[in-house]
Amino acid sequence: MMKFKHISSAVLALVLSAAALPGLANAKVVVLGWPGGSEETALRATTDLYNKTAADADKIELLFFNRDGFFDKLQADMAAGSNAFDVNLVATYSIGRYAPYMEPIELNADAPKVFGDAVLKTMQFDGKQYGVPTDLSLHFMYYRKDLIDALIADPDAKAKYAEISKKYLGKELAPKQPDDWTWDDWAATALYFSKQVNRQSPVRYGTVLQMKNLLFNMMVFQSLPRSYGGDWTDASGNVTVDSDAYKTGLTLYKTLYDAGASPKDSLSYEYAETNAAYSSGQAATALQWNAAAAELTDVKKSPVVADVTGMVAPPAGPNGRADHIHGLGLGLNKNARNKEGAIKFLKWLSSEDAALAYARAGGSPALTPDVVTKVAKERPDLVKLGEFASKYGYVMTGATSAKALSVYELQAKEFTGYWSGQQSLEDALAHTKAGMQDLLKK
Amino acid sequence: MPALRHPAAAADNMALVKRAEGRLYLAPLVGFLLLFLGFPALLNLLYSVSTVSFETLRSPQISGFGNYAAALTDAAFWQSVWFSLRFGIITAVSECLLGLFLAIFLKPLLSARPVLMAPLMLPLMVAPAMVGLMYRLVLHEFAGPVPYYLFEWFGDSPAFLDYANAFRTLIVIEVLQWTPFAFLLFYVAYIAIPEDVHEAAALDGATGLQRLWRIDLPLMLPTLTVAFFIRFIDGFRVFDNVYALTGSGAGGSTTSLSIYIYQAFFKEGAIGKAVAASVVLFISSLLVLYGLNWLSARRKR
Repeated sequence: MMKFKHISSAVLALVLSAAALPGLANAKVVVLGWPGGSEETALRATTDLYNKTAADADKIELLFFNRDGFFDKLQADMAAGSNAFDVNLVATYSIGRYAPYMEPIELNADAPKVFGDAVLKTMQFDGKQYGVPTDLSLHFMYYRKDLIDALIADPDAKAKYAEISKKYLGKELAPKQPDDWTWDDWAATALYFSKQVNRQSPVRYGTVLQMKNLLFNMMVFQSLPRSYGGDWTDASGNVTVDSDAYKTGLTLYKTLYDAGASPKDSLSYEYAETNAAYSSGQAATALQWNAAAAELTDVKKSPVVADVTGMVAPPAGPNGRADHIHGLGLGLNKNARNKEGAIKFLKWLSSEDAALAYARAGGSPALTPDVVTKVAKERPDLVKLGEFASKYGYVMTGATSAKALSVYELQAKEFTGYWSGQQSLEDALAHTKAGMQDLLKK
Repeated sequence: MPALRHPAAAADNMALVKRAEGRLYLAPLVGFLLLFLGFPALLNLLYSVSTVSFETLRSPQISGFGNYAAALTDAAFWQSVWFSLRFGIITAVSECLLGLFLAIFLKPLLSARPVLMAPLMLPLMVAPAMVGLMYRLVLHEFAGPVPYYLFEWFGDSPAFLDYANAFRTLIVIEVLQWTPFAFLLFYVAYIAIPEDVHEAAALDGATGLQRLWRIDLPLMLPTLTVAFFIRFIDGFRVFDNVYALTGSGAGGSTTSLSIYIYQAFFKEGAIGKAVAASVVLFISSLLVLYGLNWLSARRKR
């Protein structure tokens, strides 16, 4: 009797577990997206829309881990031939690194009309299309309209402003509207609005510098040297990170940090900390990703600053204005379990309806002028996004190569070493140049 | 079992059977350890003497001790060893001293109300990565309570995570989380000291302090050593809370050895060098353990 019980329970267990197995295969398409922030919210909303009309076998299941270490985990998974996801995130600066593990895809026939060729190129490597460009990232200079207007209207304030700019920047400047700023104007404004420099400042800090040892912070920083003519390499492939452009940019950040124009913990600041500092109302400006626009102008999320925040492109240098751009997108994993479902989804995602739904849900696709007018009311920042991308967008020479991320990491380590006072500017640039020569050699 | 003629042979036979039984019970555990510790360890040793990249992860090519040379001549490696050493020693000493003080000081209270032990153990329950993220919020100048109240009371708040203060902040966070561990060990050792030893000492006219110094501490010495050693190893290997809070730090200033290995592996893609560094870490931990064992064996004699 006991033996029968043993055997029958074992058989039952086997039957149950076997029944679970077919359920695991091909019942869905797993999409690994960019976690946290507007990209996640928008992807969730868009896939909900897709799942309403999709067949059961094509339904999307989303997978997120967290931003810290995201690319390392993705690299490890892809190197191991993981099939845990069918579609994965890909970014302009990492296509070279992940292309060996992905398959080129065919987009919706409408895609060039929806995104434009320049934006589609942010998802291309070696002439092939590796992803649907779901979000374009660039930077806005966020600023407090009320503070700037008050500054410009007050003659005493203007005098103080001129005095401060003369002391720290060597020349007397007059306050201007942010759209007309040069980097020096921005620096002078940041110094004016810092309590440590100017006791009468209505806010504690003039700006929020993102100086954590993090590769993304280098993308925020490098528009400054770029507008002075800086680049990673020149046309012949020589590393030019020790140029005057870079020296000017690095020194400006250090001057501002040392003077107290940025929060004291700026050396540990990145995206989230910057938003918290700016939305507390105690910072006058912040050079920050466009993805923060939704949060910083939302009355519910940032009640103190939502109604008085303006956004313009980063200030101009002698070579004009520059705004770092890169694209985030979704592409096909070579080891995907459900390739047909994945391809179907990606084709749909590159259509106009999907792009507009994505935009309405908070995502930031760069859309052609004809298409973006359809969401211009809900998302005025997307109009700016498209405009800035086409007018000022740049990609540093070598920033799409296989070792691009390692270059950013190296710059982050060396530049933050200089900013924190651990090494001189010359040493930092020498180390960076040597490292970049190694990483970028063909 | 066959009939046995001699009682001694019977005892031997029993022992034999018990050993075989014992081995059977141990087999699953040993199998598990071999699979999840032994296999990765062997793979580590293989990778440390090979040239391997993410693309060639499954086909490493043996290339000698070049990876060890790369790791040992890397200034960043020694900087991270120094960071880990300082961090490990300072946190272990602080946690043991604080834990010892709390164990002795709180003994009357906990003897009367043992249930109070539970809230004291709470910090141990939080994942270290969570602790790092929590402090990122708690110490944030605009979002966190600590700077808020410091501004209210003193008009200013220090930069907890800037280059000058980050190390101290990390030490405090680690000590706050792990002191309960040392406290628990010391408390248990302290209450295990028999009361009649104390009575005898009191009869001999020993003061409380003399009792503590001459009797309690020597009796607790094995626990003190073990607790110090465990805390030191944990502090030396620190990764989660440091990485979540400051990453590798401005200019790499809060890069512990574990973070160095992680960076070399994932950021630089220098798999061989990272694995060689981890083997060096493993061997030095083994040496420390061996040394401590030898010391305690000598003491026993």
